[in-house]
Amino acid sequence: MAAPVCCQGLGSRVLSWSQELLCSWCTLHTSAVCAKNRAARVRVGKGDKLVTYEEAHVPHYIAHRKGWLSRHTGNLDGENHAAEPTVEDVFLGKFMLGTFPRCPADQLILNRRANQLEICALVLRQLPAHKFHFLVGYSETLLSHFYKCPGPHLDKSPSLIF
Amino acid sequence: MAAVATGRWLRFRCKLCLTLTGQPAGPYGQAPSCRFYSGSATIPKVEGTNVTGIEEVVIPKKKTWDKVAVLQALASTVNRDATAAPYAFQDDPFLIPTSSVESRSFLLAKKSGENAAKFIINSHPKYFQKDIAEPHIPCLMPEYFEPQIEDISEAALRERIELKKVKASVDMFDQLLQAGTAISLETSNSLLDLLCYYGDKEPSTDYHFQQSEKSEELEEATEENNKKSEKTDHQFGVTWRTKNNAERIFALMPEKNSHSYCTMIRGMVKHRAPARALNLYTELLNNRLHADVYTFNALIEARALSVSEKLEDKWNNILELLKQMAAQKVKPNLQTFNTILKWLRRFHVFGKLPALQTFREMKAIGIEPSLATYHYIIQLFYHQENPSKGSSLIIYDIMNELTGQKFSPKDPDDDMFFQSAMKACSFLRDLELAYQVHGLLNTGDNWKFIGPDHRRNFYYSKFFSLVCLMEQIDVTLKWYKDLIPSVFFPRSQTLIDLLQALDVANRLEVIPQIWKDSKEYGHTFHNVLKEEILMLMARDKHSPELQVAFADCAADIKSTYESQDGRQTAPEWPANSLNYVAVLFLRAGRTQEAWEMLGLFKKHNKIPGNELLNEFMDSAKASNSPAQAIEIVKLASAFSLPICEGLTQRVMADFAINQEQKEALENLTSLTSDSDSDSDSDINEGK
Repeated sequence: MAAPVCCQGLGSRVLSWSQELLCSWCTLHTSAVCAKNRAARVRVGKGDKLVTYEEAHVPHYIAHRKGWLSRHTGNLDGENHAAEPTVEDVFLGKFMLGTFPRCPADQLILNRRANQLEICALVLRQLPAHKFHFLVGYSETLLSHFYKCPGPHLDKSPSLIF
Repeated sequence: MAAVATGRWLRFRCKLCLTLTGQPAGPYGQAPSCRFYSGSATIPKVEGTNVTGIEEVVIPKKKTWDKVAVLQALASTVNRDATAAPYAFQDDPFLIPTSSVESRSFLLAKKSGENAAKFIINSHPKYFQKDIAEPHIPCLMPEYFEPQIEDISEAALRERIELKKVKASVDMFDQLLQAGTAISLETSNSLLDLLCYYGDKEPSTDYHFQQSEKSEELEEATEENNKKSEKTDHQFGVTWRTKNNAERIFALMPEKNSHSYCTMIRGMVKHRAPARALNLYTELLNNRLHADVYTFNALIEARALSVSEKLEDKWNNILELLKQMAAQKVKPNLQTFNTILKWLRRFHVFGKLPALQTFREMKAIGIEPSLATYHYIIQLFYHQENPSKGSSLIIYDIMNELTGQKFSPKDPDDDMFFQSAMKACSFLRDLELAYQVHGLLNTGDNWKFIGPDHRRNFYYSKFFSLVCLMEQIDVTLKWYKDLIPSVFFPRSQTLIDLLQALDVANRLEVIPQIWKDSKEYGHTFHNVLKEEILMLMARDKHSPELQVAFADCAADIKSTYESQDGRQTAPEWPANSLNYVAVLFLRAGRTQEAWEMLGLFKKHNKIPGNELLNEFMDSAKASNSPAQAIEIVKLASAFSLPICEGLTQRVMADFAINQEQKEALENLTSLTSDSDSDSDSDINEGK
């Protein structure tokens, strides 16, 4: 992998020379650096930033001061489908953010039991109560048809915002 | 006996494990591999000896358990939680409904959300095709509402009939006829079925929300519950147009069998064209065809619907129909008798005897009556709420028969039974009977027959009012905690009944709690209720702590009045309430607020009562301030009250006032007495 990098650095003459020499050509995709000591951390500012409990604690506190946001058995030894719940979680997060405008106060908590899905969301009281019920009925039906599981059950705990 | 049996079993097991381990020794020889403790070593091992007293072991039949049997058994151990909201709502204080209107609107909102989701799923089925469920769950797949077959053929017609597209199927039928293809009898019959069921109109999409009440006369409810209007038959009007598609297709059919005639008759009766139905029936008889039991039920209804006949004639016609039914060897079913009873209700007094005859006939044939049967009978016998005529005791017989029975739904009117039974109980003022009815409701699965929201509210309102009226106060309060608010939201009349019960039982200290609860159930701005509460609190003098509690409650009520004023342009604050609130403040020693109340009298142009002024005078004396006393007199004179005289005298007598105050007082009294005498003379002149 080092060879092509050097080739990229040198001129085209060298590039063609290396093409004759090498049989395989592996490409390298580079992206911006994601340092591990900056992941999921809200940087300290002047002290006027509102953070939730989730945001305030950094990832190494998981299992010490934080819990998990998504619980499923896909990562246990011998279980299949480890990645699918993760993809579903991302979808569900975006879905709830869109369906309940301005309402989700924090990340969703997802529990999977057998084939049932329980979504626990902390929401702000931005909508009148009957609209909440409408959206809850709508999202439960839509998600159960989408994931073919009998009851994505929505648990909401509306909270006040200071 | 059991020991012997176990002994035998043990021996059997012994043999088994010995053979497994390959040891040929006898059963009780070496048994180290048998891990269980053989306690039957003393029993003789020879099988042949007949030991007396051994019975045959009867192996019971294997029970098949339902898949959810364990869950059902667990569920039966858990009772209803009286402090929780119904399960359908999200468990959060913000989202739990606080009145019956709110609970209905929330449930409707949830249902409409589900319908919106279904609509989206069915309009974009391609996104929901991925099937990861193992085994396949068919109800979670999108449904197809558009017909797939496009060409003109009988299969296409059948498909449109299955998809319940009325207009499309009629068009397809016409096209098929024009093309000259013969349509089979079954397909034509199913097309007729579709047309007759929907009355030649498309099935409405909001069918479930707008299912109007059938032609029952509903109870006149109180102000919060009068959603349903009284509908009789004639308001429906005739919705069966002559020469509509059904009749046209019927005429076009080359061959008709009895199914076609029957469908047409039933459709005509359903859509209120009874005369045509009877004509068609005679045609059916002329063609020597037979009608089935459902058609006869429809014909009975048709006979009862025809307006122009007298009651005896109608009854005779119905009897004749029944005789024809017997002649055609058609066995009646439950619906037959229920239809007869339903229409006998219209006959009022005349219908009582035929109703009982019908009921006995039903029992004689062996048809199990359903709850709807009993409902019709109760309605027939308890229709007029006129106690002077003497009420029948039939409901006691009915309840004795029904106690302990579990019902399954057999008739659409089954859910009206509990409502009419409780109505009869409250009419008869019989609490024991009401408990019996309530016990029947709680037997087994009968709670499912309580009906929709308004019927449930009606049932429980009547039940609780009866309990308030007739039962001891402790039991009443227990029922109150149990039923409200988890089962129903009380109407203001119910709360007033409860207050009166508290009054009778002299438990007025519960009143502040009741007021707090009523605020939660949406009665904050209900004036009658507030006046009742205030009146009960202010009527007598009570112990000091109680007075303090009452005064807090009164302050709360006062604030609700004020916020109400802020909203409305025309503030209405009844004079009585002002009186009561002021009195309660005074008695609890909150004199400052009481004086503010006096100011409010002036503002709202209401007149304070005499007792109130006397109490103010008492309190002024107690606090020994003549200035206050003079204030009172000034107020009285401002309103030109006749009591002003008495007050002035009292002030002069009881208080130490100085000269100028005395003069002011006399001025005031002279003013009032002048105006009094003037008004008196005016009145005299007027006379």
